[in-house]
Amino acid sequence: MKRALTILLSNPLSVVGLTLVTFVVLTALLADFISPYPEHAGAVVDFLNANKPPSAEYWLGTDVVGRDQLSRIFYAYRVSLGLGVVVLAIAVPIGVTVGLVAGYLGGWADYVLMRITDVFLSIPPLVLALAIMGLLEPTLLNGMIAVTAMWWPWYARLVYNITRAQKVEGYVLAAEVIGAGKLHIIFREILPNCMPSIITKMTLDFGFVILIAASLSFLGLGVQAPTPDLGSMVSEGTRYLPDSWWLTVFPGIAILIAVFGFNLIGDVLREVLDPDL
Amino acid sequence: MTAQPILSAHNLTRDFRVGKRTIRAVDDISFDVQKGECLAIVGESGSGKSTVANMILGIHPPTSGTLSFHGEELPVKRTLLHREKIQLVQQNPLSSLNPRRSIAASLRLALDVHKHGTRGERPQMVQKLLEEVGLDPSFANRSPSALSGGQRQRVAIARALACQSEVVVLDEPTSALDVLVQARILRLLDDLRTMHGLTFIFITHDLSVVRNIADRVAVFQYGKLVELADTEALFENPTEEYTRSLISAVPVVSTEEVELRGRLSKTEAADGGVESPGA
Amino acid sequence: MSADLALSIRNLALSFKSWSGTSQVLHGIDLEIKRGERVALVGESGSGKSVTARIILGTLHELKSARISGEVWVAGREMSSLSQSERQALRGTDISMIFQDPTTALNPVYTIRQQFHEVLMRGDPKISLSTAEQRSADILREVSITDTERVLESYPFQLSGGMNQRVMIGMALINEPQLLLADEPGTALDVTVQAQTLRLMRDLVRQHGTSVLFISHNLGVVREFADRIYVIYKGRIVETGPAASIFDDPRHAYTKALLAAIPRLTGGGIPEIQEDSEAFFDPMVTHEDVSA
Repeated sequence: MKRALTILLSNPLSVVGLTLVTFVVLTALLADFISPYPEHAGAVVDFLNANKPPSAEYWLGTDVVGRDQLSRIFYAYRVSLGLGVVVLAIAVPIGVTVGLVAGYLGGWADYVLMRITDVFLSIPPLVLALAIMGLLEPTLLNGMIAVTAMWWPWYARLVYNITRAQKVEGYVLAAEVIGAGKLHIIFREILPNCMPSIITKMTLDFGFVILIAASLSFLGLGVQAPTPDLGSMVSEGTRYLPDSWWLTVFPGIAILIAVFGFNLIGDVLREVLDPDL
Repeated sequence: MTAQPILSAHNLTRDFRVGKRTIRAVDDISFDVQKGECLAIVGESGSGKSTVANMILGIHPPTSGTLSFHGEELPVKRTLLHREKIQLVQQNPLSSLNPRRSIAASLRLALDVHKHGTRGERPQMVQKLLEEVGLDPSFANRSPSALSGGQRQRVAIARALACQSEVVVLDEPTSALDVLVQARILRLLDDLRTMHGLTFIFITHDLSVVRNIADRVAVFQYGKLVELADTEALFENPTEEYTRSLISAVPVVSTEEVELRGRLSKTEAADGGVESPGA
Repeated sequence: MSADLALSIRNLALSFKSWSGTSQVLHGIDLEIKRGERVALVGESGSGKSVTARIILGTLHELKSARISGEVWVAGREMSSLSQSERQALRGTDISMIFQDPTTALNPVYTIRQQFHEVLMRGDPKISLSTAEQRSADILREVSITDTERVLESYPFQLSGGMNQRVMIGMALINEPQLLLADEPGTALDVTVQAQTLRLMRDLVRQHGTSVLFISHNLGVVREFADRIYVIYKGRIVETGPAASIFDDPRHAYTKALLAAIPRLTGGGIPEIQEDSEAFFDPMVTHEDVSA
């Protein structure tokens, strides 16, 4: 742990990443207390202050119905992070289990599970999400289902490859010769050796999930009004370019901060968690 | 040889499919191992010695032939009892211990699977096992990466002991170690064998080690058992050409050893055998 | 550096810097190889023998975390005074190397012929194809390969380990290097094949008058190969002298322990080995070279 912190703090890039991610997480958690206009997260209309450029009163300006952009961004972070947590909390266990089981058991399990995985992987992610959203209602819940459906196969592939490599290691043979059960070998022996890669990928993916969610919202298929969402904010803002530039630029920067922050940390985590480096 | 052998192989054969060809890795091998003895299996790569080890451990089943343990045929699907009684120490202690689990966890696995002691007693048993292989009990909470190669190999040996095994297959247990460490590990193994009445199947290519630890030696070549004899007899008077060439190829450090090799290659020449390799 | 030395190392020290501090790997070692001499550097893992080879090859100089001091003279040049490209030019021409595992040391995607040509071009960039062909075949015959045409056509994976080892010995000698570094050659091979290739290598370097630094953990292998031996322990040379003298009369506590630890082919039981002693850090013992 101490070693991990030393490495994290000795690398300037990871310090930047850590700062950005801390900022995003804190604003999302504390949105109720630090937002200048917490009520603007909902369906508030204030035409007197509509479409104002950044000022001392509204740091990042207001949108077309007069809501404070800064407050809306804080609440949008909360939605994005929530979405990320839910998607990964479902996708990772599914993908990891599929990868472990297929990789360790081999044979039919390998063939069936990995072909299913390949089918999902061969569909372009956005197309799959669009299809699911099209079949179902374009709600936040369905958005999550769509994103989860396209996310787990990447974990299955990743863990499958590691498991195949770990399976021939001596410690797996030792456990088999001792007579340990398959569940023990898969989850207690092999899984811990997959964790560094899984955690690294999760960190990177947090940024990507936010990005994908924003893309879906941008296309009008994600989070529905009045819930604040970075993608929809950018999308709506584009209609008022170039005059009301703050409508697109600030939510855009907000997306950038989150994605960039998680990516920077992910890269450094790979080094910290891998004992061979 | 009147006693019931602890382990015996009857006409053991194993084929491997490589593409469309079938390769016979082990070809009709029979031998007995007596309780408490150390049988060395020596041979070069491709001799089938590791395949025999894997069959004894139940990692792959024989294509034909049988293995028996205490006179009873070993099934293809081993019971927990068979697993408990036939254990393994591998060549590379770096990979044989899970890098992400503590030493204690690696040892606990054997105790947990075979339900040795009560849950409360097991941490104590782990400490005793570590002491028995000459390690400080404080090693229990360390990760394998904090240990030297020799220390890791001691843990691997402790794991075989944890099972309370009767037969231990030692697969090149000291090949990856430095000479000084090798001598200490060999000494430990030999002491444990006497103390616990263990039976060793010692698989190696190192004939100098074999000479000093084995009671009997089985020489394998291309999947066949070419010579099986008491250690003393095999080194002083090998009957097979191949055994002689193996002994003559060992790099040695003393003049007595050079003389032994010289004697063997002379008998070879007198028998009208093949020229010494590379000449 | 006097002209009759193929390699001269003076007070060579090496340390690695990392985030946790510096670790000293070599504590100032001296080592000399005369022209045509076969010298062995013997030590266990972590003794510093392999990093010494990498310093002589000049590959460690490129590593940012490595701190190297002292002098290494090869072929009349001091390694640390050379640029990266000058050091690179030495490799494969004046200094060549034989590795532990021949199969992985050869490039799997080129034929043996292409790899020989590449090596020969390092020595003479304008060499003609027919000369290269001729010289490759000649050296292969020297390493007891008779069907040279087939071997030159082959890729490394189509040849046995022993055959690849011979090819590598041929490649290492084809440019008539001033110094040949052999790092645990043949350790990855079977004993009988190892014995053959070592014998072959010994005869060949003798004929060519090549100076060799043989790096090994195996005293038995060294005994049959080297004229002189340096024993290295934790970054310090502890004993040096003619091979016969070291084997018959080891004087340093570490060398004695090392020799005593080797199980004998003639029996005698498993050696009794005490814990590593403080005496292993005793000052260096030098055996007088009676023949000199």
